[in-house]
Amino acid sequence: MAGSDLLQGSLDLLVLKTLQAGPLHGWAVSKRIQLLTRDVLEVNQGSLYPALYRMRDRGLIASKWGTSDEGRRIKIYQLTAKGRKALETERRSWRRFSGAVEAILAT
Amino acid sequence: MGFATRIWRKLCVWFVRENETEIDDELRFHLEREIEENRRRGFSEREARRRALMAFGRVENVKDEVRDVRKIARFLGDMVQDAKLALRSLPKQRGFVLAVILTLGIGIGGNVAMFGVLDVSLFRSLPYEQPDNLVLGRVTYEGQVGNTVSGPDFFDYRDQAQSMAGLAAITPFSVQATVTGVGTPERVSAPLVSVGFFETLGIQPIVGRHFAADEGEPGGPDVVILAHAYWQRSFGGDRDVVGNAIVMDGTPHVVVGIMPAGARFLTDADVWRPIRRGVDWAEARQFHNFVIVGRLGPGVPLAAAQSEADLISHQLADAFPESNRDKGLRLTLLHEALNEGVRSTLGLLLAAVGLLLVVACANVAGLLLVRGKARQSEMAVRSVMGAGRGRLARQLLAENGLLAIGAAVFGIVLAAWLQRGILAFLPMDSLGPIEARLSPGMLGSALMLTLLTVCLFGVAPAIRIARSEPATDLKSGMRIAGSRRGARVQSSIVVVQVAFTSVLLVVSGLLLRSFGQLQGVDPGFEAEGLLTAEVALPAGEYGDVTRRAQIFSQLQERAAALPGVVDVGLINRLPIRDDGGNVRVARPDEWGADGVFERLAYQRMVLPGYFEAMEIPLLSGRDVALTDDRGTSPVMLISAALARDLFADANPLGRTLGVDVGDEEPWTAEVVGVVGDVVPSSLVSGTDYSMYFSYGQRSPSSMRLAVRTRGESAGLVAALRSELGSLDPNVPLTGVTMMQDVVTSSIADRRSVMTVLIAFAGVALLLSAVGLYGLLAYDVSKRAHEIGVRVALGASLTRVASGILRRGLGLVCLGLVLAIPLSLVAGRFVQEMLFAVGVTDPLTFAGVAVFLGTVATLACSLPAWRAARIDPMEAFRAE
Repeated sequence: MAGSDLLQGSLDLLVLKTLQAGPLHGWAVSKRIQLLTRDVLEVNQGSLYPALYRMRDRGLIASKWGTSDEGRRIKIYQLTAKGRKALETERRSWRRFSGAVEAILAT
Repeated sequence: MGFATRIWRKLCVWFVRENETEIDDELRFHLEREIEENRRRGFSEREARRRALMAFGRVENVKDEVRDVRKIARFLGDMVQDAKLALRSLPKQRGFVLAVILTLGIGIGGNVAMFGVLDVSLFRSLPYEQPDNLVLGRVTYEGQVGNTVSGPDFFDYRDQAQSMAGLAAITPFSVQATVTGVGTPERVSAPLVSVGFFETLGIQPIVGRHFAADEGEPGGPDVVILAHAYWQRSFGGDRDVVGNAIVMDGTPHVVVGIMPAGARFLTDADVWRPIRRGVDWAEARQFHNFVIVGRLGPGVPLAAAQSEADLISHQLADAFPESNRDKGLRLTLLHEALNEGVRSTLGLLLAAVGLLLVVACANVAGLLLVRGKARQSEMAVRSVMGAGRGRLARQLLAENGLLAIGAAVFGIVLAAWLQRGILAFLPMDSLGPIEARLSPGMLGSALMLTLLTVCLFGVAPAIRIARSEPATDLKSGMRIAGSRRGARVQSSIVVVQVAFTSVLLVVSGLLLRSFGQLQGVDPGFEAEGLLTAEVALPAGEYGDVTRRAQIFSQLQERAAALPGVVDVGLINRLPIRDDGGNVRVARPDEWGADGVFERLAYQRMVLPGYFEAMEIPLLSGRDVALTDDRGTSPVMLISAALARDLFADANPLGRTLGVDVGDEEPWTAEVVGVVGDVVPSSLVSGTDYSMYFSYGQRSPSSMRLAVRTRGESAGLVAALRSELGSLDPNVPLTGVTMMQDVVTSSIADRRSVMTVLIAFAGVALLLSAVGLYGLLAYDVSKRAHEIGVRVALGASLTRVASGILRRGLGLVCLGLVLAIPLSLVAGRFVQEMLFAVGVTDPLTFAGVAVFLGTVATLACSLPAWRAARIDPMEAFRAE
């Protein structure tokens, strides 16, 4: 399974998008990204958690302690209002960016 | 988002965030889910774990990055977290914690106590107005600082010095007077002070006034100022006593003022009397009875005042070459002068207690190293489980910090108690009683010391952990955990301990030896069973010298008849008990020649029978007799050494000597006897020239009784009192002491310093022994396997045990060798405190080596014995 490196800044976008569907814990976030990209993008956990903490500090996501199905204490992340706005901005700028790259590749 | 919310969020980021364990929890959860999933995919347990770990990357890196996100913000929280963890882990190691806190606490406590002693003694402010301007004036002879200044010299300095805002004098030794008419007759301390004395110090009377100028001139009225305590004690604090007269030494003295509580300079006083120019101990330039205290004029530096004093000294030397040729006046800041005596003592004790702290720290460092090794596996496990090395190191540091704080708290409690003990022990109350208290300085020093100790013993193990490789540590397990380097560090710690302890022991040993020498000094008389007391006749009522002689010889007769009394002697000043009174003595042909100043002898007035009572041998000639009175020609006895100095081998009997009694012409007397030498002033000064005159011819009003007793002397004092009371009810018997106590207390200061130092050395020795024991015991437990193999292969038990012993004693020897140069340096500092013992005293050095060697052997033999008892089978099974 050849995981591609994520482009700088795109991890934040993926995390935000993943959380848009609802609150998740860290492991689920990484699994979901992997699943949705059909294993093309493998999130390096080494960057996931720092990103989660960073985004929380910026107020894009919030965290709270919850309980897993097995009764374990887990930390659950969810989008904040600010995060939702950021997701929109990020999504638009990503579209613009990828569209531009696509345009070049199509020539 | 509003500004306030943003600030709030920032604050949250800083202070309200999940702690380290929560991150751990989250990451561990992630890891476990990953492993779980891999397992479900069909990987073996091992492979599942490997893949998960690989995917995750190094746990620590993740955490580091997480941490990096908010590095500064996390710092505080981490510290709290570290402390919490440490608090949780420490109680599980109760023995270790107790050992560290006790050891370090003793080290810190001792030091803080000494700082406290310094703080309340050296650095306290003097109880006078603007004390920094005050100077102490002492006489110098050819530049050497003596002590007291003569009265006439003082008056000249006072009248001529322009740079001083005030110059005053006081008798620094005990001067007493008898007060009658207020209850029973009482001896009071009545120092003489110059007019202007209290103004110079800046002490104002609470009732009445200062001495007036005319009260310091010859023929001035008899007046006194009362001390607060005496006023309360004898007059119940009645203010009306001012203006009334009290009868002192048979003469009425008018009370002119009362000083506030605590007013004091050098000696305790009940009343102060003014010095009258030319009388009252201020008759002649060769009688040095006063110390000078002066206040520098505004803005005048000490050097300027000193050069002015030098100028006056020169003028005096020109005007009175006979008495002032080599004399000068040395001005020293009062604060410094008063601390001169104790500074070296305190310095010594401070150095000793510093060494003790180093020894204590070394012990704790040794303990930590051993424990660090024992915990290496634990640390490795935790490291693999996801705790970062930095994190582990920090946690160790936090644990050590907590230990140090515990030790500091214990140390401060100990210090408060020790300080009281040391202050009670050390003679430092020349300015009045010192109150022991915990000062901010002490707490500050405790803080500094604690930080220092953490640095000394706490950081090294933390660095070790930070550098360690968890994988190898885990693999190697306990057996190889004690690396060669670690063992070396530990060994050198023990060597340092032994060396420093030896230095402490050597210095204590030197002091102990000099104390022994001092106790062995032959005072020239028999102190055992000798009761001493003082009888002072009121000079006013006993103006007639024949009346004095009569009452004293009657007292002698009656006292000798009391049961239990063997002999009774009377002298105006008893050896060791009463210092002072040494004057020039010379053959008639020597007067006026150079060198006459050099020969001083203690002059004493005795009644017949004194030498017998004291058991001072009469070597030749005869004792004084009652018939040697004013009607016959003056006679004297001299001590053997003085006789040799004056007459070499010639017979001194029948020769005439001149004694300087302050008149133009010397007092001449014929030598009728030679007696054994005695120690007149102090054991340290040793025997000195003495001369004795007949009381019938020279008759002071105050005499000392020397009563040679036999067996039980209980009730004797009461009997003596009643005999004296029947002769004259107005004459009190005071200062009753056994001569043996006088001798003992005269060297009590030395004993105190020595005892404190020995206590420090003892604790250091104990710590070193424990350190040595710990090292070897650990060594044995670590090498149990190896020893087991050797025993199984046929090594004899003695060989095993002696190997351990050799290792321990080898370190001790190294420490001892190291201690020799250190001790020689340390000896230099105590040189002036030594008596008849050299710094290189071989007996002390050998004694310390043997003593320390014995203790060390004991400390080593237990582990050695244990090594010899190792059962090979047990050792293998334990693996």
